[in-house]
Amino acid sequence: MNRLFEIFFIFLLLVFSSGIVCITEAQEYGGGPIVFIKPVRAVIFEHRLHLGKKLNCMSCHPGLFAKKAGEVEEKEDFTMASFNRGKYCGKCHDGTTAFSVNTKCVWCHIGVQGHKRLEEFELGK
Amino acid sequence: MKSMKSDRGKLKGDTGKVSLEERRRFLGLGLKITGVLAGGSLLSLVPVEGAKSELLGASVVGTYTYEPHYAMLIYKDRCIDCERCIEACEQTNNVPSYGYRITILGRKKTGVEASKMIREFLPVLCNQCNRPPCVRVCPTKATFKDKKNGIVMMKESLCVGCKACMTACPYNARYYNRETESVDKCDFCFRRRLTSGEINTACVDACPADALFFGDLSDQKSEIYNLLHKPEQEILVLRPESNSMPNVFYL
Repeated sequence: MNRLFEIFFIFLLLVFSSGIVCITEAQEYGGGPIVFIKPVRAVIFEHRLHLGKKLNCMSCHPGLFAKKAGEVEEKEDFTMASFNRGKYCGKCHDGTTAFSVNTKCVWCHIGVQGHKRLEEFELGK
Repeated sequence: MKSMKSDRGKLKGDTGKVSLEERRRFLGLGLKITGVLAGGSLLSLVPVEGAKSELLGASVVGTYTYEPHYAMLIYKDRCIDCERCIEACEQTNNVPSYGYRITILGRKKTGVEASKMIREFLPVLCNQCNRPPCVRVCPTKATFKDKKNGIVMMKESLCVGCKACMTACPYNARYYNRETESVDKCDFCFRRRLTSGEINTACVDACPADALFFGDLSDQKSEIYNLLHKPEQEILVLRPESNSMPNVFYL
Protein backbone atom coordinates (compact mmCIF):
# COMPACT_ATOMS: atom_id res chain seq x y z
CA MET A 1 0.00 0.00 0.00
CA ASN A 2 2.79 2.34 1.00
CA ARG A 3 4.63 1.52 -2.21
CA LEU A 4 1.53 2.27 -4.25
CA PHE A 5 1.36 5.72 -2.65
CA GLU A 6 5.03 6.26 -3.42
CA ILE A 7 4.53 5.47 -7.10
CA PHE A 8 1.44 7.65 -7.21
CA PHE A 9 3.36 10.50 -5.59
CA ILE A 10 6.21 10.24 -8.09
CA PHE A 11 3.66 10.10 -10.88
CA LEU A 12 1.99 13.26 -9.57
CA LEU A 13 5.34 15.01 -9.23
CA LEU A 14 6.23 14.17 -12.83
CA VAL A 15 2.91 15.44 -14.16
CA PHE A 16 3.09 18.67 -12.22
CA SER A 17 6.74 19.39 -12.95
CA SER A 18 6.20 18.90 -16.68
CA GLY A 19 3.16 21.16 -16.36
CA ILE A 20 5.27 23.81 -14.67
CA VAL A 21 7.88 23.59 -17.41
CA CYS A 22 5.13 24.03 -20.00
CA ILE A 23 3.75 27.08 -18.24
CA THR A 24 7.13 28.76 -17.85
CA GLU A 25 7.94 28.03 -21.48
CA ALA A 26 4.62 29.47 -22.53
CA GLN A 27 5.36 32.57 -20.54
CA GLU A 28 8.72 32.78 -22.16
CA TYR A 29 7.74 31.94 -25.73
CA GLY A 30 3.97 31.95 -25.87
CA GLY A 31 3.97 28.67 -27.71
CA GLY A 32 4.60 28.19 -31.40
CA PRO A 33 3.85 30.62 -34.19
CA ILE A 34 0.35 32.02 -34.55
CA VAL A 35 -0.90 31.93 -38.13
CA PHE A 36 -3.75 34.13 -39.31
CA ILE A 37 -5.62 32.96 -42.39
CA LYS A 38 -8.25 35.68 -42.46
CA PRO A 39 -8.71 38.03 -44.20
CA VAL A 40 -5.65 37.00 -46.21
CA ARG A 41 -3.84 33.66 -46.13
CA ALA A 42 -1.42 33.61 -44.37
CA VAL A 43 0.21 35.90 -41.83
CA ILE A 44 2.64 34.65 -39.22
CA PHE A 45 3.13 35.99 -35.71
CA GLU A 46 5.90 34.69 -33.49
CA HIS A 47 5.65 35.25 -29.75
CA ARG A 48 9.31 34.47 -29.25
CA LEU A 49 10.37 37.33 -31.53
CA HIS A 50 8.12 39.79 -29.72
CA LEU A 51 8.45 38.83 -26.05
CA GLY A 52 11.37 39.98 -23.96
CA LYS A 53 13.14 43.31 -24.23
CA LYS A 54 10.35 45.76 -23.53
CA LEU A 55 7.31 43.60 -24.10
CA ASN A 56 5.48 41.20 -21.83
CA CYS A 57 2.08 39.49 -22.03
CA MET A 58 0.25 42.53 -20.73
CA SER A 59 1.59 44.76 -23.50
CA CYS A 60 -0.82 43.18 -25.97
CA HIS A 61 -3.22 40.99 -23.94
CA PRO A 62 -6.05 41.56 -23.51
CA GLY A 63 -5.94 45.18 -24.66
CA LEU A 64 -4.94 44.75 -28.30
CA PHE A 65 -5.67 41.08 -28.83
CA ALA A 66 -7.88 38.61 -27.01
CA LYS A 67 -5.88 35.82 -25.41
CA LYS A 68 -7.72 33.14 -27.35
CA ALA A 69 -5.95 32.49 -30.63
CA GLY A 70 -8.06 33.16 -33.70
CA GLU A 71 -10.59 35.40 -31.98
CA VAL A 72 -9.27 38.60 -33.55
CA GLU A 73 -9.62 37.11 -37.05
CA GLU A 74 -13.38 37.16 -36.69
CA LYS A 75 -13.42 40.93 -36.30
CA GLU A 76 -14.27 42.90 -39.39
CA ASP A 77 -11.74 45.67 -38.86
CA PHE A 78 -8.79 43.26 -38.64
CA THR A 79 -7.37 44.64 -41.88
CA MET A 80 -4.29 46.44 -43.12
CA ALA A 81 -6.33 49.64 -43.39
CA SER A 82 -6.98 49.70 -39.64
CA PHE A 83 -3.35 48.75 -38.92
CA ASN A 84 -2.39 51.89 -40.79
CA ARG A 85 -4.65 53.84 -38.45
CA GLY A 86 -2.82 52.39 -35.44
CA LYS A 87 -5.06 49.49 -34.49
CA TYR A 88 -3.89 45.97 -33.61
CA CYS A 89 -0.38 45.39 -35.04
CA GLY A 90 -0.23 49.02 -36.10
CA LYS A 91 -0.09 50.09 -32.45
CA CYS A 92 3.65 49.37 -32.45
CA HIS A 93 4.35 48.83 -36.15
CA ASP A 94 3.99 52.51 -36.96
CA GLY A 95 7.45 53.28 -38.28
CA THR A 96 8.83 54.62 -34.99
CA THR A 97 8.43 51.87 -32.38
CA ALA A 98 8.83 49.12 -34.97
CA PHE A 99 8.87 48.99 -38.77
CA SER A 100 5.72 50.39 -40.33
CA VAL A 101 2.97 48.04 -41.49
CA ASN A 102 3.10 49.51 -44.98
CA THR A 103 6.65 48.26 -45.49
CA LYS A 104 8.31 44.85 -45.40
CA CYS A 105 5.16 42.97 -46.40
CA VAL A 106 6.82 39.56 -46.61
CA TRP A 107 8.24 39.73 -43.09
CA CYS A 108 4.82 38.66 -41.82
CA HIS A 109 2.95 37.53 -44.94
CA ILE A 110 4.21 34.01 -45.52
CA GLY A 111 1.63 33.21 -48.18
CA VAL A 112 -0.29 30.08 -49.02
CA GLN A 113 2.83 28.07 -49.83
CA GLY A 114 4.51 29.24 -46.64
CA HIS A 115 1.48 28.18 -44.61
CA LYS A 116 1.50 24.74 -46.21
CA ARG A 117 5.19 24.34 -45.45
CA LEU A 118 4.63 25.38 -41.86
CA GLU A 119 1.80 22.89 -41.42
CA GLU A 120 3.88 20.10 -42.86
CA PHE A 121 7.15 20.64 -41.09
CA GLU A 122 6.50 22.52 -37.89
CA LEU A 123 3.00 21.76 -36.75
CA GLY A 124 3.12 18.21 -38.05
CA LYS A 125 -0.41 18.22 -39.39
CA MET B 1 27.09 75.59 -76.06
CA LYS B 2 25.04 78.71 -76.25
CA SER B 3 22.12 76.87 -77.75
CA MET B 4 22.43 74.17 -75.11
CA LYS B 5 22.15 76.76 -72.43
CA SER B 6 19.13 78.37 -73.96
CA ASP B 7 17.58 74.96 -74.39
CA ARG B 8 18.10 74.20 -70.79
CA GLY B 9 16.62 77.54 -69.78
CA LYS B 10 13.61 76.89 -71.94
CA LEU B 11 13.13 73.49 -70.41
CA LYS B 12 13.49 74.82 -66.93
CA GLY B 13 10.95 77.51 -67.66
CA ASP B 14 8.07 75.19 -68.37
CA THR B 15 8.84 71.76 -67.03
CA GLY B 16 5.15 71.18 -66.63
CA LYS B 17 4.64 71.23 -70.38
CA VAL B 18 7.66 69.11 -71.31
CA SER B 19 6.59 65.61 -72.11
CA LEU B 20 8.18 62.60 -70.49
CA GLU B 21 9.88 61.59 -73.71
CA GLU B 22 11.54 64.95 -74.05
CA ARG B 23 12.72 64.88 -70.47
CA ARG B 24 14.03 61.41 -70.92
CA ARG B 25 15.82 62.29 -74.14
CA PHE B 26 17.27 65.38 -72.53
CA LEU B 27 18.51 63.43 -69.54
CA GLY B 28 19.89 60.82 -71.92
CA LEU B 29 18.27 58.02 -70.07
CA GLY B 30 16.27 56.00 -72.48
CA LEU B 31 14.06 53.41 -70.91
CA LYS B 32 16.51 51.41 -68.94
CA ILE B 33 15.47 47.84 -68.92
CA THR B 34 17.69 45.70 -66.86
CA GLY B 35 17.29 42.06 -66.85
CA VAL B 36 16.10 39.21 -64.80
CA LEU B 37 18.24 36.25 -65.60
CA ALA B 38 17.45 32.61 -65.69
CA GLY B 39 18.90 30.61 -62.88
CA GLY B 40 18.35 26.94 -63.49
CA SER B 41 14.76 26.17 -64.30
CA LEU B 42 13.40 28.99 -62.15
CA LEU B 43 13.46 32.64 -62.99
CA SER B 44 15.63 34.54 -60.61
CA LEU B 45 15.98 38.24 -60.04
CA VAL B 46 19.49 39.23 -60.97
CA PRO B 47 19.73 42.64 -62.59
CA VAL B 48 21.91 42.92 -65.67
CA GLU B 49 23.90 46.13 -65.70
CA GLY B 50 23.64 48.22 -68.80
CA ALA B 51 21.20 46.08 -70.72
CA LYS B 52 20.07 48.15 -73.64
CA SER B 53 16.44 48.88 -74.27
CA GLU B 54 17.04 49.06 -78.02
CA LEU B 55 17.98 45.41 -78.04
CA LEU B 56 15.75 43.90 -75.44
CA GLY B 57 12.82 46.00 -74.41
CA ALA B 58 9.38 46.00 -75.83
CA SER B 59 8.95 49.57 -74.77
CA VAL B 60 11.46 51.61 -76.66
CA VAL B 61 9.79 54.97 -76.28
CA GLY B 62 7.03 55.47 -78.79
CA THR B 63 7.04 52.04 -80.33
CA TYR B 64 3.83 50.55 -79.11
CA THR B 65 2.62 48.98 -82.29
CA TYR B 66 -0.75 47.70 -81.17
CA GLU B 67 -3.89 49.58 -80.36
CA PRO B 68 -4.72 49.01 -77.59
CA HIS B 69 -1.30 47.77 -76.51
CA TYR B 70 -2.09 45.84 -73.37
CA ALA B 71 0.63 45.55 -70.75
CA MET B 72 0.98 44.65 -67.12
CA LEU B 73 3.11 46.16 -64.41
CA ILE B 74 3.97 44.07 -61.36
CA TYR B 75 5.34 45.52 -58.14
CA LYS B 76 7.51 42.61 -57.10
CA ASP B 77 7.89 43.66 -53.47
CA ARG B 78 4.15 43.88 -52.93
CA CYS B 79 3.20 40.27 -53.64
CA ILE B 80 2.33 38.34 -50.48
CA ASP B 81 1.49 34.98 -52.09
CA CYS B 82 -2.14 35.05 -50.96
CA GLU B 83 -2.95 33.34 -54.28
CA ARG B 84 -6.19 35.26 -54.75
CA CYS B 85 -5.11 36.00 -58.33
CA ILE B 86 -4.79 32.27 -58.97
CA GLU B 87 -8.23 31.60 -57.51
CA ALA B 88 -9.82 34.40 -59.51
CA CYS B 89 -8.13 33.20 -62.68
CA GLU B 90 -9.29 29.63 -62.14
CA GLN B 91 -12.88 30.77 -61.69
CA THR B 92 -12.88 33.21 -64.60
CA ASN B 93 -11.13 31.05 -67.16
CA ASN B 94 -12.17 27.53 -66.05
CA VAL B 95 -8.61 26.53 -65.29
CA PRO B 96 -8.44 22.94 -64.00
CA SER B 97 -6.77 22.17 -60.68
CA TYR B 98 -3.68 20.71 -62.35
CA GLY B 99 -3.27 23.73 -64.65
CA TYR B 100 -2.36 27.35 -64.18
CA ARG B 101 -2.37 30.57 -66.09
CA ILE B 102 -0.57 32.54 -63.43
CA THR B 103 1.93 31.18 -60.93
CA ILE B 104 3.72 32.68 -57.97
CA LEU B 105 7.37 31.89 -57.60
CA GLY B 106 8.96 32.12 -54.19
CA ARG B 107 12.47 32.00 -52.93
CA LYS B 108 14.40 32.69 -49.78
CA LYS B 109 15.71 36.18 -49.37
CA THR B 110 19.41 36.78 -49.01
CA GLY B 111 21.27 38.76 -46.37
CA VAL B 112 19.83 39.60 -42.95
CA GLU B 113 16.37 38.47 -43.88
CA ALA B 114 17.58 34.96 -44.74
CA SER B 115 18.08 34.11 -41.09
CA LYS B 116 14.46 34.93 -40.37
CA MET B 117 13.23 32.55 -43.07
CA ILE B 118 11.72 35.43 -45.00
CA ARG B 119 10.74 34.75 -48.58
CA GLU B 120 9.99 36.94 -51.55
CA PHE B 121 7.35 36.27 -54.16
CA LEU B 122 7.08 36.88 -57.85
CA PRO B 123 3.88 36.45 -59.85
CA VAL B 124 4.57 35.12 -63.33
CA LEU B 125 2.07 34.96 -66.15
CA CYS B 126 2.22 35.00 -69.94
CA ASN B 127 4.31 38.00 -70.95
CA GLN B 128 2.41 38.50 -74.22
CA CYS B 129 5.76 38.94 -75.94
CA ASN B 130 6.16 41.14 -78.97
CA ARG B 131 8.35 38.41 -80.47
CA PRO B 132 6.67 35.33 -79.04
CA PRO B 133 8.82 32.19 -79.29
CA CYS B 134 5.72 30.02 -78.80
CA VAL B 135 4.09 31.43 -81.92
CA ARG B 136 7.22 30.81 -83.93
CA VAL B 137 7.38 27.12 -83.11
CA CYS B 138 3.70 26.25 -83.46
CA PRO B 139 3.36 23.90 -86.47
CA THR B 140 -0.37 24.46 -86.95
CA LYS B 141 -0.60 28.17 -86.18
CA ALA B 142 -2.93 27.35 -83.31
CA THR B 143 -1.29 30.04 -81.23
CA PHE B 144 -1.00 33.48 -82.74
CA LYS B 145 -0.37 37.08 -81.85
CA ASP B 146 -3.52 39.11 -82.32
CA LYS B 147 -2.94 41.73 -85.00
CA LYS B 148 -5.04 44.34 -83.27
CA ASN B 149 -4.20 44.18 -79.57
CA GLY B 150 -1.06 42.06 -79.52
CA ILE B 151 -2.35 39.43 -77.13
CA VAL B 152 -0.92 35.95 -77.76
CA MET B 153 -4.00 33.79 -78.13
CA MET B 154 -4.91 30.16 -78.69
CA LYS B 155 -7.20 28.63 -81.28
CA GLU B 156 -8.00 25.39 -79.48
CA SER B 157 -9.48 23.63 -82.53
CA LEU B 158 -6.17 23.86 -84.39
CA CYS B 159 -3.97 22.69 -81.52
CA VAL B 160 -2.61 19.17 -81.98
CA GLY B 161 -1.08 18.99 -78.52
CA CYS B 162 2.54 18.67 -79.58
CA LYS B 163 3.56 20.92 -76.67
CA ALA B 164 6.30 22.60 -78.70
CA CYS B 165 5.06 25.98 -77.46
CA MET B 166 5.37 24.84 -73.85
CA THR B 167 9.00 24.03 -74.48
CA ALA B 168 9.62 27.26 -76.33
CA CYS B 169 8.07 29.57 -73.74
CA PRO B 170 10.80 31.20 -71.66
CA TYR B 171 8.35 31.89 -68.82
CA ASN B 172 6.76 28.47 -68.45
CA ALA B 173 3.38 30.13 -68.85
CA ARG B 174 1.56 27.35 -70.71
CA TYR B 175 -0.03 24.08 -69.65
CA TYR B 176 -1.78 21.25 -71.45
CA ASN B 177 -5.50 21.11 -70.78
CA ARG B 178 -6.67 17.49 -70.87
CA GLU B 179 -10.35 18.40 -71.16
CA THR B 180 -10.04 20.57 -74.27
CA GLU B 181 -7.04 18.53 -75.48
CA SER B 182 -5.13 21.67 -76.25
CA VAL B 183 -2.57 23.94 -74.67
CA ASP B 184 -4.03 26.74 -72.58
CA LYS B 185 -2.50 30.05 -71.56
CA CYS B 186 -3.25 33.50 -70.19
CA ASP B 187 -4.92 35.86 -72.67
CA PHE B 188 -5.19 38.85 -70.29
CA CYS B 189 -8.79 37.68 -69.76
CA PHE B 190 -9.55 38.87 -73.29
CA ARG B 191 -12.30 36.37 -74.01
CA ARG B 192 -13.90 36.37 -70.59
CA ARG B 193 -13.62 39.99 -69.53
CA LEU B 194 -12.09 42.50 -71.93
CA THR B 195 -14.50 41.70 -74.77
CA SER B 196 -17.44 42.28 -72.45
CA GLY B 197 -16.28 45.75 -71.57
CA GLU B 198 -14.29 45.10 -68.40
CA ILE B 199 -11.10 47.13 -68.16
CA ASN B 200 -9.14 44.92 -65.76
CA THR B 201 -8.13 41.28 -65.78
CA ALA B 202 -9.47 38.98 -63.07
CA CYS B 203 -6.11 38.71 -61.29
CA VAL B 204 -5.68 42.48 -61.12
CA ASP B 205 -9.13 42.92 -59.64
CA ALA B 206 -8.52 40.17 -57.09
CA CYS B 207 -5.15 41.41 -55.81
CA PRO B 208 -5.55 42.85 -52.30
CA ALA B 209 -2.07 44.39 -52.27
CA ASP B 210 -2.29 46.24 -55.62
CA ALA B 211 0.75 44.32 -56.77
CA LEU B 212 -0.60 43.98 -60.30
CA PHE B 213 -1.42 46.85 -62.60
CA PHE B 214 -3.02 46.46 -66.01
CA GLY B 215 -3.41 49.02 -68.76
CA ASP B 216 -3.05 50.21 -72.31
CA LEU B 217 0.37 51.49 -73.33
CA SER B 218 -0.76 52.99 -76.63
CA ASP B 219 -2.63 55.65 -74.71
CA GLN B 220 -0.03 58.12 -73.48
CA LYS B 221 -2.39 59.52 -70.87
CA SER B 222 -3.01 56.16 -69.22
CA GLU B 223 -1.71 55.49 -65.73
CA ILE B 224 0.42 52.53 -66.71
CA TYR B 225 2.14 54.58 -69.41
CA ASN B 226 3.11 57.23 -66.91
CA LEU B 227 4.20 54.68 -64.31
CA LEU B 228 6.47 53.01 -66.86
CA HIS B 229 7.93 56.18 -68.29
CA LYS B 230 9.02 57.94 -65.16
CA PRO B 231 12.56 59.20 -65.70
CA GLU B 232 15.24 57.30 -63.80
CA GLN B 233 12.81 54.45 -63.29
CA GLU B 234 14.45 51.06 -63.37
CA ILE B 235 12.19 48.53 -65.00
CA LEU B 236 12.80 44.84 -65.00
CA VAL B 237 11.64 42.21 -67.43
CA LEU B 238 11.93 38.49 -67.09
CA ARG B 239 14.60 36.75 -69.14
CA PRO B 240 15.60 39.60 -71.46
CA GLU B 241 18.24 37.39 -73.05
CA SER B 242 15.51 35.35 -74.72
CA ASN B 243 14.90 38.48 -76.81
CA SER B 244 11.16 38.00 -76.76
CA MET B 245 10.31 41.62 -75.86
CA PRO B 246 7.80 40.96 -73.10
CA ASN B 247 4.88 43.20 -72.19
CA VAL B 248 4.86 42.35 -68.50
CA PHE B 249 7.12 44.64 -66.55
CA TYR B 250 8.41 44.41 -63.01
CA LEU B 251 9.11 47.28 -60.68
